[in-house]
Amino acid sequence: MERQEIIAGLVEILGTVRTINKEKLADITEDTDLIKDLNTPSTEMINIVAKAEQKFDVEFDDDDIDELDAKVKSVVDLILKAKERN
Amino acid sequence: MHERKVAVVGMGGVFPTCKNLDEFSQKIFADQSLIREWDLALAHGKKMRSSVSGFVTDDEMDLEPIYSTLIDNYPETYIDKLDRIPAENLATGDVGSIWAMIASLDAIKMAGWSDTETRSEETGVVVGSGGAGNLILKTAWHNFFELNKKTRLVGGHTIDRTMTYREAANVSCLIKNRGVCESIGSACATGLGNIGHAYRLIKFGVQDRAIAGGVEGTSLETFIGFDGMQVLSRGFTAAESSRPFDVDRKGFVCSFGCGIVALEEYSLAKARGANILGVIDNYHNNCDGDGDMFYPSFAGQKRLWNGLLKNTDIKPDVVKVHGTSTPAGDAVELLSVVDMLGDSGYHISAPKSQFGHMLGAAGAVEFITALLMLKEQKVLPCLNSVKLNEELEEFQTEEDWNGPKKPMGAYRDLLPQNTFAKSINTVACLNYGFGGTNSAIAVSKDVS
Repeated sequence: MERQEIIAGLVEILGTVRTINKEKLADITEDTDLIKDLNTPSTEMINIVAKAEQKFDVEFDDDDIDELDAKVKSVVDLILKAKERN
Repeated sequence: MHERKVAVVGMGGVFPTCKNLDEFSQKIFADQSLIREWDLALAHGKKMRSSVSGFVTDDEMDLEPIYSTLIDNYPETYIDKLDRIPAENLATGDVGSIWAMIASLDAIKMAGWSDTETRSEETGVVVGSGGAGNLILKTAWHNFFELNKKTRLVGGHTIDRTMTYREAANVSCLIKNRGVCESIGSACATGLGNIGHAYRLIKFGVQDRAIAGGVEGTSLETFIGFDGMQVLSRGFTAAESSRPFDVDRKGFVCSFGCGIVALEEYSLAKARGANILGVIDNYHNNCDGDGDMFYPSFAGQKRLWNGLLKNTDIKPDVVKVHGTSTPAGDAVELLSVVDMLGDSGYHISAPKSQFGHMLGAAGAVEFITALLMLKEQKVLPCLNSVKLNEELEEFQTEEDWNGPKKPMGAYRDLLPQNTFAKSINTVACLNYGFGGTNSAIAVSKDVS
C-alpha cells in the first residue's frame, strides 16, 4: 500500500472528526501535525487511531500507540508497520 | 457583611413536547399534559410495565446523533442543527449535558450578563443530574465486557460524558466562568439542591452570580430501573397517568428535561437594571434520619418547613409540592403541608401532574414553574386529582400519629384541578429524594 493511498484514507477519517476544520484537510502532507496544525483535540487522537485500525484492517500495539506523536508521517509509519507485521 | 439577597435573573430549559420556554409556559397554563406514550418503551413489549413518559427526542431538540463506525448504536457525538453549541463542546457531552449547555445559554441571554460577567471568578456553575444510567455507559460496558472489544473502540470521551458532574463541567467549559464548578447530587431533590447550593454561595459571599439547575437526559436505561421497582404509573391514558393526590393514583410518570436558572446577588442585579424574575427568601434542606431509604417522613418534612420558615416572615400563597403521584408520598406530603400552614389561605400546585417526574431535573424545572406562576399571577393545577381519599390513611390511624386527623379529601379546596388567576407574592417549592433527603425554597416577587 502506497503512503499517498494511506494519507488519502486518513483524510477520510479526519473528515468525520467534527472538531477539525474541513478546509484544512486539502493541504495535508506527511509533515502536518494533527494537533498543532489542525487543532484536533488530543482526546480525539484515540478515535482517529481506532478508526485507522478499522479502515486499514490492522491492529496496533499499545506500546506503539503510547509512543505515537500527532504527525501524519508517524501515523502512516504506524499503519505500514502494522501491515508488515500482519 | 451586610445581608446579601439573591435574585433570579434568567431561566432556560428543555421541556417535553415544547420547542422553548414560551411554548412550555403556554401549554402548562392551558392545563395541557406533556406526557405521551413512549415508542422506545413500547418497543420492549411485555418486558416493560409502564410505557408513558414526558420524554424529549434528539430530533425535537434539533440534535442529530453521529453514530460510531467502530461499534454499534453508539452516538459518538452530535450535530447541533441550530449551531447553538460548538463541535468541541458537543464532543464532550452526553445528551443531558448538551441540554444543560443550551439551557444555560438561554438563561444567560435572559439575564443579560456580559462575557466579562459570565467569565468572572465571581460566577459559578452548579448543575447536576440524577444519573441513574445512560446509553454511553451501557454501550461502553456491553462492548468491553460482553463483546470483548478493546477499550479504545469507545473512544476518548466515555468519562467526560458520564462522570457525576458532567453537566456542570460541560456548561463551565462552554461559558468559561472562573468561579465554582460543581454538582450537588440528591436524587429527585437534585434540581432544587443545586439551586439551593448556588443560592447559599451567593448569599454567603462566595460568588456573585451562578448558573444553577438540574438535568435528566432522556434515558431508557434510567426508566427501566424505576419500571423494575414497580413504582411507575400504568393503566391510564398518557395524559391521565400522573395524578398526584387522586385516590386512584398508582405511581409516578418517569420523565426527562432540564431546568437552568441564572442567579445574581440582588444589589448587583438591581444596579444594572436587570429584570428580576424572583427573589429567593430562603432555602433549607435536611434529611429524615429514620433509616428508611424510600418511605417519606412526616417528621422530616415538618422539620424541613420549620427550617425554611425559621426567623422569616415567609407566607406562601402557593405551595409547589413534590407531588409525585405515588400512593405513600402524596399523602404524607399533603398532611405535612396542612399541618404547617393550616387548611386555608394558600393553594397547592403539582406540576408533575402535567409533565411527570423529571428526576434530577424535577426541582429545577418545577422552580421555573414557580417563577412562571409569579410572572403570570396564576396558579398551576393538580391535573387529574379528581377524587381525594375520604377515608383516613392507614398511618393516620396509628397510635403515635400526631398530624392532621382529617382525611385527604377534607383539603380538596387547596388542590385546584385547573389553572386560575390569583395574586401571588410568594411560592414555596418542595422536593424530596431517595435516602430521605428533603429540600425547600421560597421565592417571591421583587417588591422594591
